[in-house]
This record gives sequence, C-alpha cells and structure tokens, in this order.
Amino acid sequence: MTQNLDLTDIQGNIVKAYGSFGFFKARYLFLRIDDGDKGRGFVNRITTKVTSAERWEKDAAPSVTTNIAFTYSGLQALELPTASLIGFPSDFVMGMSKRKDILGDDGPSDPKNWDKIWQETVHIWISINGKSMKDIEERYQWVTQQIEASGCGVILLKGHRGEDEAGNPRDDLPYQDASVLYDEKGIPTAKEHFGYTDGISDPVFEGQTNNAARVLGRGKLTREGGWEPLATGEFILGHIDEAMEYPQTAPRPDLLSRNATYMVYRKLHENVGTFNKYLDEQAEIFPGGKENKELLAAKFSGRWRDNGAPLVNTPDNESKAEWDKKFAAADFSTQKRMLTDFSYNDDIDGAKCPSSAHMRRINPRGSLEYGVKDAFDTPGALVNRRRILRRGLPYGKVNDATSDKGNHGIIFMALNADIKRQFEFVQQQWINYANDFKEGNDKDVLLGNHDEKNPGKVVLKVERNSGKPPHFVCNIPRLVETRGGDYFFIPSITALKMIAGGIIDPT
Amino acid sequence: MGNKSGNATALTVLSPIVNGIVDGQSFADITRERCLRIPIHEKSPLAKVPNTYLARLFILDNVFYESLPGSDSVFNFSEITSILSDSARKKALPRKDQLKSKYLVFSSNFHGDLDEYLTGMWEKWSFDDHGQQRDVRYIWEHCVSFEGVKDCAGFISYIKRCQLEATLFFNGSTDDSLQEQLKALYLKQEFSKFAAEHQGKSAADLQRAFKTFIERVQPENLSQPSWNPGQSTL
Repeated sequence: MTQNLDLTDIQGNIVKAYGSFGFFKARYLFLRIDDGDKGRGFVNRITTKVTSAERWEKDAAPSVTTNIAFTYSGLQALELPTASLIGFPSDFVMGMSKRKDILGDDGPSDPKNWDKIWQETVHIWISINGKSMKDIEERYQWVTQQIEASGCGVILLKGHRGEDEAGNPRDDLPYQDASVLYDEKGIPTAKEHFGYTDGISDPVFEGQTNNAARVLGRGKLTREGGWEPLATGEFILGHIDEAMEYPQTAPRPDLLSRNATYMVYRKLHENVGTFNKYLDEQAEIFPGGKENKELLAAKFSGRWRDNGAPLVNTPDNESKAEWDKKFAAADFSTQKRMLTDFSYNDDIDGAKCPSSAHMRRINPRGSLEYGVKDAFDTPGALVNRRRILRRGLPYGKVNDATSDKGNHGIIFMALNADIKRQFEFVQQQWINYANDFKEGNDKDVLLGNHDEKNPGKVVLKVERNSGKPPHFVCNIPRLVETRGGDYFFIPSITALKMIAGGIIDPT
Repeated sequence: MGNKSGNATALTVLSPIVNGIVDGQSFADITRERCLRIPIHEKSPLAKVPNTYLARLFILDNVFYESLPGSDSVFNFSEITSILSDSARKKALPRKDQLKSKYLVFSSNFHGDLDEYLTGMWEKWSFDDHGQQRDVRYIWEHCVSFEGVKDCAGFISYIKRCQLEATLFFNGSTDDSLQEQLKALYLKQEFSKFAAEHQGKSAADLQRAFKTFIERVQPENLSQPSWNPGQSTL
C-alpha cells in the first residue's frame, strides 16, 4: 500500500460503504437553491457536520453521518466561476435524464415516469446514514433547521413516491428513506427484495485499506493470479488512474476537484411479483425442474441467493452443499475470502457461471481474455477502467410478493471518476448489450431493459462434451425499472469550504 | 492493383473538386450538401449497388498539420531549435502542406471485382431527393474533369484514375457475396429463435418442427426470405 489518502478531506461515503459499518438506515434529501449567497451560507453550515473518511477506532464511530453533493445546475446556482464550470465533463453537465438513450431508460423507466421530484430542478443531494431511525430523525431535524435558517435561499424538494407512516401511498414525500432488509428474526441482512445478497465484491482501491485480505477478488487481477488494489484515480479525482494519468474529468482549480468524485444516484424499483412468477415458470422448464429453482436464480445473478456463494465454485447442488459445509465451519475472514476470491479462468465458456449472469457482467474479472494467456498486458485490461464503487441500500417493503405494486427497490449509487467511461459504459455495453461477452445483444437478466416488443433471452451454456444441450431462458420481462436519479459531484471538504466561501478561483 | 482480400475488394477514391463558386457557394460545399442529403439504411443508394459491405462519402477539406513532436526523455526538440536563428528554426519545423483543392472521398468495401462494382454504381445508384431521382453523376458532378464522363466505361476509367491503394478491410464482414451474408445472418437469427422455442421437445417433435422450419427459411434460396441490403431493424 503506497498511497496515503487524505482521509480527513475525502467525504466518508466515497471510501466507506456505511451499511457494512452498522449504518442500516439512510435518508436522502434533495434541495433547490434559490439564492446563491444564501445557498453558500447553507453549504457552509452543512459542511460543519459532513462526515469525512477518517478511520474510526473501534467503538468510536459516530451514530449518524452526513454527506453532500451537487448537480451541475447546483454548482451553477452556487455561482461557481464559469471557468470552473466549463471544466466539467458533458455527461455530468447533461444529467441523467438526458442520458436516457445511453442508459436504456425507456418505457416504464423513461424519465417522464419517474417520481415527481425529478420533474423539478435538483441542485443538492444530502444523505444521512444512521444506526437507528432516531439518529436519522435528529440529524434530519438539524438539516431542516439549516434550511429554515437559509431564509428561503434553499428549498427542500418534495415528490418522492413511497408510503407515509400510516402506510398510505404518497407521491409527495419530502425525502427518500432506505434501510437494510431484516430477516424473520429481525436480524439485518445484506439482501435486496429479489432475495439476492448485494454488494459483496465492491472494488478496493489504493489507500482504502491496509488489509491485504480485503483486496482478494475485489481489486485487479494480476498475471500471477493474485489481486492488487485498483488505482485511486479510478474513483477519486486528483490521483493517478489505471492509465497512469490524472482523471481527465477534473474541473479547475485543482483544489475544486482533488479528492472529489462523481456519483450516479438511481432509484430502482423491483418488480417482485413479476420476478417471482417468472422464476417459478422458468424453473418448471429448467433441467431438474423445481428442485433446481435456486440454481436457476443463481444463474441469473452469479451467486446463490441464500448465502451469496459464487456460482463459479458451486455450479450444482452437490458442490453447493459441500461449499456450505466449509463456509459454516470457516472463520469470518475465510468466509469473506470464499465469497470474493475467485476468477472465471476455469469457466471461460460460462458453463458454470453464465456470461450473462449479473455479477459476471458488471465485473468480468479476467474473463475477457477468453483464456488466451497474455492477450493483454494484464488480465483485467478491459475491466479495470470500468469499475464502480456501489453504495446505497434497499428501500420500501414488499407487502405482497405476488405483485409489482407498491414502492420497493434499491437506492443505487455508483461512484467513479468518469461517469461516461465507467458507469455509463457498464450500463450500455454490459447490462443492455453483450457483444463483449460473445452473447450478441442479450441483456442482463435482472437489470436489462427487456420489454414486450423485445423480450429478453439469455443462453445458459453447458460444459463442452457433456452431451447436454444449452438452456435458453426466454421471454424475460422488465424486472427492474428506473424511478429517478441524477448525476452528482461529491467535493472534498476543502472544496466544500471554498464553494461555501465563494472563493473558488480557477485563474 | 492490390486492394484485395480474398473475394473482398477495398476501394478508396479521392476526386478533386473544382475550385470555384456558384451563387455564393463553393462547389465543395455544394457537393457536401448533396452527400448529406443521401438517405440512409434501406433507402441509401449504396443499398441498391450490389455487394456493398460498407461505404462512406465525405469531403476532405485539407490535410492535417502534423505539429511539433512532443518532448521526450532525451531532449526537447523546441528547446534545441530555440538557439538557432529564426529562419533556421522555421526550416527545422515540420513542413506545412496544403491541398490545392478539396476532395470528394469515397471508400467502399465490397464483394467481387472493381469493374463489376463500378458498373453497379453507374447503373443502380439512385435516390429520391425531394421528388427527383439522383444518379451517381449528381455526387461527382463538380469534380475535376468529371464532365468528360459520358458512359459507364468513362465512369470506370475516371474512378480508376482517382483510386488510391487501400489496405484496410471492414472487420465485420466475411468475403462472401452480400446476399450470402445477409441470408446467413437471417438464418442465424431465425435458428436461435427456433432453438429457444423448441427446447425440451422430443426428438420426433423436434424433427417435425425442424422440417417445417427449413421449409419456411429456405436455406438454399439466397434471395428470400432474408434481410434486405441496408436493413437496420427487424
């Protein structure tokens, strides 16, 4: 680990996935700035409570965190100098709704069907992550006091779909709540509403951790089969990236962009009823029938739903049972390793973990060399520049597992140094297209924008010479719909203070 | 001429455009406008010219200046020249080239021989331009000496005079005839649909369905059913 990050300057949500630190609840607020001067005053007050990435000593973590980010029009409203504004990349300037053709946000995912708040001009995003709702509520009250103190300079925007405290459907909520899901015993889980375990192999970059074990399966694959952390500049501006360059997406001056990053916020509704029905129907015609329903579900994502076991190491019920035994007997760090430390080198054809499985698509590891050793300088040459940090939590409750109705899904946040090169590329080329995986125009089963006119199809291959036919999964319906979102800039704490002080000077 | 890769031919043509202005517009800009009005996909005139894999037309306005080389680890070129006299320093700079005229550039990858292909361009190229049918002469009209082209043989010899050697081929294509390739793509897509729709059926059912499938898609019949040249959607 050669890189020392300025952890007290970088916002905490960039370096930490708060959920894994016991922050099981979150509230996201969106605001509009109506007066530049008062807006800067507001940012100044919020900055006093912004959580940095400073390491928390054992038991010394706070009970609540606060982070802040801005859209391009937000930075305009804060009256950043034009010479700074013109340095932002065009994807960020355009914002998410105008990028809908690239993202595949069509049909039910079209921006015109998003939550009402996205018909407004959003300037500021504030996140509050807490260990309990009480912590969140207290910090939320504090933020609303600062909004009041801004004297109408800053407005809290309403228009989130969800349920109010009495359980009534609303489309005018002033914030978006999110929470981990709890099992029957009330124990917090890492699951989302389809029942999959989420966020296991989040990327690790230089300076993020001193624990070499955490890099296994989460950094970049080396030629020798080991793992190294990714370059910091893939995720934080002002640092060297995987091309040995400073990210090209940094606005001037350096102090505005150093230790900052870009965030993609997406509210993704999960069609739970359609998913359950589809999985049941497909299990009927899947080899092995209903008994292999969980195997089929694992083929969709690349991991088994119950404990996240990677399918590439557990391609059938027998190997899964063996893996489970080992997993149950293993200590915590061995368990982590079993979940993350694998590659597709012995499964180039995708007979074990399909090329179309969600996890393999968003991070193909070394598999794009297609078994040709030394095809590139490094096995991950086509992957290491396409990684994203995933943050966020599920939202809502599923009251009826046979229905799509209601409000439940994932608040998905992707952090990266270059939205176009990283998040948008993954979404366009690897989620909604598959040429890189030699799978034509097949889409990701779970996240693809399938529709009735072009129902999805993926091929589940089998081992060569097995004598078995491949299995076609057909007529895939739209399982996930976009309900809103935008692109945000997360400045460093130094830059926040300079923005608040109106002293950003690019000359 | 080189320009061949198996049965595929690469053609690159640079035709100088007459320097001059008519009604306040240069001949180069008139030609560019005509190129921009060419319809795309199935309506493209190139979809009518047999065996076109991929083709493009554009106007070359000028050559690019190669600029100064960047500094390297040994020495910085511009720092060395700064000790020379002004005229010596200018002589050391990369030469500035200018084209004497603008060029109409046509590049195409196609199946078969050049003469046959150019005959196809002369005979089949046509597109609807606000109710008027335009043939290939409409695009080349303002090129130097093109007024001497009166017939197909004249067109072939004109294009050959403007031809450059081409060595790059369209990677998305084999060297089979366009009809053969379109039929193959059609069959591939139809067959994957067939496989998906009939998985799990008994051998007897599968064979029966496959016979019906073959009767419908007619693999030996290259002309139909198939995709059309220039087709972009199903």
